[in-house]
Formats: sequence, C-alpha cells, structure tokens
Amino acid sequence: MSHAFARARRNEMLLAYALLLPSLVFLAIFTYWPILRSVWFSLHDVLLGDPDIYWLGAENYLRLLEDRLFWKVLGNTAFYTLTTIPLSIAAALLLAVALDSKLRGMAIYRSAFFYPVMIPSVAAGMLWVFLYAPGYGPINEALTSLGLPRLDWLYDSKWALPAIVIMSIWKYSGYFMLILLAALKLVPSDLYEAARLDGVSARHRLLHITIPLISPTLYFVIIIGTLHSYQIFDYVYVMTQGGPADSTNVLTYYIYQNGFQYQDIGYASALANALLVFVLGLIGLVAVTLGRKVHYLGER
Amino acid sequence: MSDVTQAKLSTSRRRAHWQRHLRANWLHLIMAPLALLWLSPLVWILVTSLKTNVEVFDQAAGFWPQSLNFSNYPSTLSVAPFGTYLVNSVIVTSSILTGQMITITLAAYAFARLTFPGKNLLFTLFLLQVMFPIYAIFLTNFITLREMGLVNTILAMIVPFIASGYGTFMLRQSFRQVPSELSDAARLDGCNHLEILWHVFLPLVKPTLIAFGIISVVTHWNDYMWPLLVTNSEGIRTLPIGLGLLAKADSGADWPRLMAGTTIVVSPLLLLFVIFQRRFIDSFMHTGVK
Amino acid sequence: MKSTKSNLTRRRLLASGLAAPFVSMMPGVLTPARANETVKLQFMYPVGVSGDINTIISGMISDFNATHDGIEVEAIYAGSYDNTEQKVITALGVGEPPALWLPINSSLQTFLGLDALEDITEQAKSDDIYDDFIGGFLNTAVSDDRLYGLSYQPSTPVLYYNKDAFGALGIAKAPETWDELFETAKALTIRDGDELKRWGLTIGGGWHDWMFEGYCRQNGLVPWEKDKVLWDRPEAIEALSFWKTMVDAGCMAPASTWQGSANDFMAGSTAMLYHSTGSLTNLRKSSPFEVGVAFMPKKKQWGASQGGGPIMIAKKQSDAKKEAAWTFARWMTNTENQAAWSRATGYLAVRKSSWEQPEMQQYLAEVPQAEVAMKQAQYSGAFLQVPAYSRARDSLKSAIDRTLAGEIAPAAALTDATAEVNREITRVLRRQKG
Repeated sequence: MSHAFARARRNEMLLAYALLLPSLVFLAIFTYWPILRSVWFSLHDVLLGDPDIYWLGAENYLRLLEDRLFWKVLGNTAFYTLTTIPLSIAAALLLAVALDSKLRGMAIYRSAFFYPVMIPSVAAGMLWVFLYAPGYGPINEALTSLGLPRLDWLYDSKWALPAIVIMSIWKYSGYFMLILLAALKLVPSDLYEAARLDGVSARHRLLHITIPLISPTLYFVIIIGTLHSYQIFDYVYVMTQGGPADSTNVLTYYIYQNGFQYQDIGYASALANALLVFVLGLIGLVAVTLGRKVHYLGER
Repeated sequence: MSDVTQAKLSTSRRRAHWQRHLRANWLHLIMAPLALLWLSPLVWILVTSLKTNVEVFDQAAGFWPQSLNFSNYPSTLSVAPFGTYLVNSVIVTSSILTGQMITITLAAYAFARLTFPGKNLLFTLFLLQVMFPIYAIFLTNFITLREMGLVNTILAMIVPFIASGYGTFMLRQSFRQVPSELSDAARLDGCNHLEILWHVFLPLVKPTLIAFGIISVVTHWNDYMWPLLVTNSEGIRTLPIGLGLLAKADSGADWPRLMAGTTIVVSPLLLLFVIFQRRFIDSFMHTGVK
Repeated sequence: MKSTKSNLTRRRLLASGLAAPFVSMMPGVLTPARANETVKLQFMYPVGVSGDINTIISGMISDFNATHDGIEVEAIYAGSYDNTEQKVITALGVGEPPALWLPINSSLQTFLGLDALEDITEQAKSDDIYDDFIGGFLNTAVSDDRLYGLSYQPSTPVLYYNKDAFGALGIAKAPETWDELFETAKALTIRDGDELKRWGLTIGGGWHDWMFEGYCRQNGLVPWEKDKVLWDRPEAIEALSFWKTMVDAGCMAPASTWQGSANDFMAGSTAMLYHSTGSLTNLRKSSPFEVGVAFMPKKKQWGASQGGGPIMIAKKQSDAKKEAAWTFARWMTNTENQAAWSRATGYLAVRKSSWEQPEMQQYLAEVPQAEVAMKQAQYSGAFLQVPAYSRARDSLKSAIDRTLAGEIAPAAALTDATAEVNREITRVLRRQKG
C-alpha cells in the first residue's frame, strides 16, 4: 500500500515536471539567461556597441547609492504604483461587479471600458498630450466649466506625474475589470441567490460574499498590477521623456535611458537587479500578508 | 372615498412601478455617464481622423469636421505596406497566443493541482519573467536570437514570448477555484490527469482563458520597441511600426493621419473583442458552473 | 544570367508581401551564396517630419538601385533618431553594422568612440563636397578636421510667430534681439484675470537644451568642447537667467513637450514658438493663420546649433562595400536629389548648387520662410558633440526645468549639471583609452 502510494507520488512529481518543461525551456533561454547575464554585466563596465568589457566589482552598485536621480526616480515609481494600482483596481472591481449582470447594454459598457487597453501606447500617449494641453485641451475646458482652476498638467513638474496616473486609470481599469469579470463568472450563483433571498444588502454581499469568493483573482490582480506599473514606460517615452525636471522619470524608463540611450549597460543592469530585489521583496510581503487570506474554492 | 382610495392606490402603484423600474435600471444612471466619459477620447480619435490638418487646431472650426474627409485613410495606408503589416501582426499574435495557451495550461495545472518538490521556488521562477524589466533583457535576447540566426525573421518576434509567467499565474488561480469534487469524480471514472485537465478544468475556466487571450493579443498586437529592434525588412514587420511612422519625432504630429492609423490598427481588435465578449457570457452559461 | 533570374523571382516573392514572412522564416532561402557582382548595402534611417518620408526614401532607393548596376541598397526604417542610433549600435555590438546610417549629428563622438566610422575626408576632397556643401552643414560631421559623414537632412531651431496675432497688435516685425523678444512676448501674452489665454513665447520642450545652446551661441559661447561641456560659463548662466526672467514675468511657458508645443502654436495658445525648421511644412500647412519664420533673436550675435543628421559610413566592412556606400551617400546628397528632398520635406538642402536650381528658386518664391532657415545656417555650428551626449542632454534639460520651476538658481543648476556631465565624460573617455 505505502509502496503504491510512493509510486503514485513519484509519478505525480514526474508528470508535474513534464508539464512545466515546455515553459521552462523558453524561460531558460529568454528570461533566466538574460537575468544571469545582467547580474554579470552589472559587475562590469559594459558599453552598448563595444564588445570589450571591463571588471568593476561593486562600483555600479555604489554609483547607484550616490545617484541623486535614482532616488528621485524610485520615489516617482513608488508614487505611481501606490496611486494607480489601488485606484484602478478599486474602479475595476466596482465596474466588474456592476457589469456582471444580464442587464441590457452591458456589452456596450464592457466595450466602453475595455477599449482603452487596445489603443496602441504611441497613439494613446499622443492623444493625452492633446487632452492635457493647458490652453485649449478638453480637460482644462471641463475644469473651467466646473468652476475649478486650470492646470498646466504635463508642463508642470508637480502635476505631470498625477496626469499620467489619471491617464493610466483610464487605460487600465478596463484591463483589470476584464480579469475580475472572468473570475466572477466562476463564482457559483446560487450563493448570491441565497444571500439575496435572506435579505443581505448589496454592500454586505460585495464585502462578504463576492470579494472572498474572487479573492484568488484579486490577489493575482494586485500582484500583476504592481508589476504592470512597469507599463508606464510607454507613456513616459511618448509624452514627457521623463520631464519636466525628472518629475515623470520612473525606474523602467531610467533603465532604458541608461542602457540604450547612454549605452551604459553595466549601470542599467545594476538598476534592473536592484529593481528585481525590491520587487521580490514587495511581492514576498504581499504573498505573506494577503496570500494567507486568499480562499480557494477548489481547496479544503 | 373610494375615488380617493382609488387615486391613492394608483399613485402608489405608479410609484411602485417607477421604483421597480428604477431598481432594475438605476445602474444605467451611473454607468451611462461614466461610459460616455470613457468613450470621449475615442470620439475624438474618430472625429480627428476625418478632419483636415488645419481643422484640428482651429478653434473657430468647432468640434465636428466641416466635411467628412475620408481621404486620410488611403493616405495613411500609402505611408507603409499596411496590408503586409496586418498579415504579419496576425501571424505574430496568433502564434504567440497558441504557444502560450499550450505552455500555460500545462504549467498552471501542475502548479494548481499537483504536489512536487520545489513547487514554490519554481513558481517564483515563473514570476521572475514578469518582474524583470524587459529593457534590461533586450540586449541579451538580441544576441541570443542572432546566434540562432533568427534576427530579421517572424520567429524573432514570437519565440521570446511563448512562455508566460503571467498567464501561468492567472490560470493557476482559476484552476484552484475548480471544486475538487469534480476532479475527484472524474478520477473515479478512471480519467488520468491530462483527461481531467482537458474534460473538466479547461471547459470550466473558459472565461479566464478568453480573458487571458484578449490580453495577450492586445499586448503583442501593440508591441513596438522589440519588433523595431529585431526586424529590418518591410516584408516581416508589424502594424505598430507603420503607426510609428506617423507619430513623427521631429515636427509636430500629423494628427488626422495618426488617428486614422490608430483606427486602422485598433479596429480588428475591437471587432474581436465585441465578438469574444459575447462568447465570454455564453461560455459560463454552457459550462453549468452556476 | 541564371542568378539574375532567380533573383528577380525572389524579389517578386518578397514584393507580394504575403509570402515574405514564410520565406524569411527559412533563413537559408533568403541568403543563398551570392554571385560577387552585386554589393548589398543596408541603410538605416529615421523618420522625423512626416510619414511620407518613408515613401520618398523608398522611391529614391528604387531609383538608385535601378540606375546602379552591382549595388543593391536595402532601406531600413529604424524609428526615431534615438531608435535609429540604438539599432545601429546594437548591430555594431554584434559586429554586423549596416553599411550606412543616418543618425543625429550629436552622436558623432559616440560613434567615433566605438571606432565605427569610415573617414571620408579624402574622397570628399577629391570631389566637390568641400566646395559645394554649405559650411555650417558640412561641419556637423567634422571632428579634428576629418570628415565622417555627408550632411543629409539638417535643421536648426527658428522662431515661428503667429502673423495674425502680430498684426492684431500692430507689431510689424519679428523681434531681433533678446530685449525685443522679451518686450514682444510680454505684449503678446493674454491673461483673463488669473487665467492664461495665450503665452507670448514657448520654447519647444524635450529639445529645449538644443535651443539653449543657441542662446549660448548668441551670447558668444560655444558651450562645449570635444571632451567637456562649459555650461557654467557666465554667458550660459546669463542665458538661463534671461529665460527665468521671462518665465517670472509670466510671458513664457516654464515647460512644454515637443508635440504639445507645436500643437499650442497651431491652436493659438502661444504666439511665438522656438521649434525645428523640420516642422516648417507641418506648422505652415496645419495652422489656421499665417506663419512667420525669423532668426532666433540675438544677444551679441546671431547663433544656432544644428540638428538633423549626416549619412555615415561604417568602418568595419569590405572595401567594395565602402566604395559602394560612398557612391550611394554621394548620390543621396547630389544637387538634384537634395533639391527634391528639400522641397518634399522642408529640410534644408545641403548644397549651394541645389538652392540655385530653378525648382528651388520657385519653392523659395512660394515658401519664403524656408530661406530664413537656410540663411541662419551660416551662423550655426554642430550641436553638443561630446561623448555621452545623451546623458549630457538629459542633465541639462533637468537643470533648465528645475531652474524655471523655481527649485534652484540658474548658476547653481548649471554648475551642478556641468560637474555631473564632465565627470561622466571623463568616465567614458577613460574607458575608451582602456
């Protein structure tokens, strides 16, 4: 009996590795190998375009500590992530719950909130440069008609990053909404019906039934959303190039600048590795705090 | 007396009717304005794509174009071989999607339903792909592809994206939601793991698969920097590169044509989404989870 | 004979587009052993001012290939100037550079640092290049008296102004000095209470460091040498202080973006704009008012720095390829082609003889604004040709932004940026020396 059990376990193990193998082959070539190389690069002076490489030891990492811009960029990245992600996920959750019904017109709403995801970032960035124009942009026109003061948005180092945050919420709420909507489809509807018949309020149902039931996806969205904030690169690249006064420079853009514009692959690699350690720490924290609260229907 | 009661009754009935109506449709009161707000940039894209260059910034000209200037569309298409680009975009995104669907389904099942040593470590390794900034791996991947002889081929835009830590994570979460009674029952019926995966799990997580599919297609459909770096020939390039031609760096943008180009690039996606979001609804109605 | 024939079918196959992806997926099919007679060249170029440039360049390349037996040029669109430079450098890193490319002239020292450029001084001297090219343009590809490229699509910043706005205020001519600029900008600014309706002046953001170098030159300073920047000199500090004065007076936008500032001008939100001559065609054709073009106002003298780029030839390739590459670069910059290119794009023709062509004279009659830019070229020089120029540009932009936002004083900002950038240049140079 225990022999058969051991064999079953070994078979399960072999099956698992076989199932992971296709992914691992590609990951090894296109993810792990570059990451290993970047660790190695970060210890060297590597110039893009030049095959010669010089040993530096920890110099790139020491430079990072003294780099005024690095700390500013880190702050900007934290600001962007801590505003965009909670706001767009909250918006997405409300939208998903609202749109998870058979009401007429839901298809139109879903498309209306999702289409920004499809707009190529070049075009979306340019579009919002226009929307934010201080003189004639529709956003300032709207502010005026509401009796609010006009802002210089992308021209103002205090407002440029919040402007990109607002745009990101427009662009990504639909994205998270779609994922959450898919999760809601997996929730057994009899639970709702029972709660509704018991006279449980809508707010109560959301907090005590819906959210716990889709917690695995919510957990996924929070982690992926945090990493998704890397996407801001596209908008910084198209709209502001990090300016004015470095107010919109974020880590992914700074890595690109150093690696490709300044050809400083060594330093860019050090930055990327620092970011990786930072993100691993953050994800670890999320996994320990939120991950424990996640409830999976398939597991007892 | 009875008249009054009658009147009262009918008012209250009418009020009840209104309340019922409102309760059924109050959502529209919130959603409609919000949706309009969300849609307004799209309206601007479409309207601008029909304007002349002078009209775009002429504040005296008003919001709507004076005449519908459809010539921006053919003139956009003449900038680059958009037909070839479209075919290539379809090949690239569909190949990536097919590859990803296979790799993530297998891997997610292992992570969700099997026990094996090193599971947590391996899962973290999968997530590394999402955590590491893509610009830090561009150079090495370029070199690797060159050594494989793949630079300036369609495959160069496909192979780096076949594995997806993102998709694996997303699908694993859904697989873990599938009630274990279902897989236990299938196992008692003599199904092996792959059969259970195919007959029980995949049908149940269809909404997730579709959601991931949409996201994957949108992401790679719009990818610009990587295709620009690894391709040279017009014959193998994709749509965003054509769009890049219109978002000129040196002078101000060519707004009408940029917006026409955007419409051209987005339309196939939008169409796909409208079709699939119906399937999205249908898929759960047929699976019988609910 | 046979090889020509198979060549044709292959090209037809490529042209059909549909088949191309499948063909190119099989590496062996596209690169068979070739007969020696045809030299294949790759040419990487950016598209800066209009998507149509892509069509124009493709057309020129077809013409060239049709008229030159034994040379086949493949034109590769490589994105913006930045993208182009990155694509070329990445290819250099794996030892397979394209035969020619068209980068921004500021990248000269970067490519020289990589030992990537063919010295074409001798060919140019035995040709008419030194006689016929406009000096200001030719010089953008010169380092230590050696020539490393043929100027192809030069541009400079110029002052664009809204003639209708000027007319409404009875201002007859564009400002010619910094003081006049300040006065004019103040006069053109419109405020409704606290709300700004129109800036007097906007300096195109994202490239404002380029304009700033023009201000330094107008104040008698070339703010860099081959291995250092000189932004901490009094002339530069005075220039930035002048900007700050205009911002404080509320007549100049403290910051903008490149695309945004062009929009602002077309929409009438700013009456004057510093932007590239490359934008002339777009601004002229898209503005609902008459656009004026003038020299950038002077302080001690006229001055501007050159944008745009030269065609450069790779050093690490066979002599046959180098020769073919020279033939191609020479052809792209010949009198007729430069005249045609200039008319089609709004870039400035690099040859004196091009400007004397009847079509060019006619173009100037139709678009007199184009001449202003050409004339300003004689007062202009290369733009920030130092190693690590990209980092230098970003540091300067940041210093200017922070000054105009009131975070730091002009002198402190420029002194810091100069120290930072010079440290960086030293680091790069030390590396090059090994």
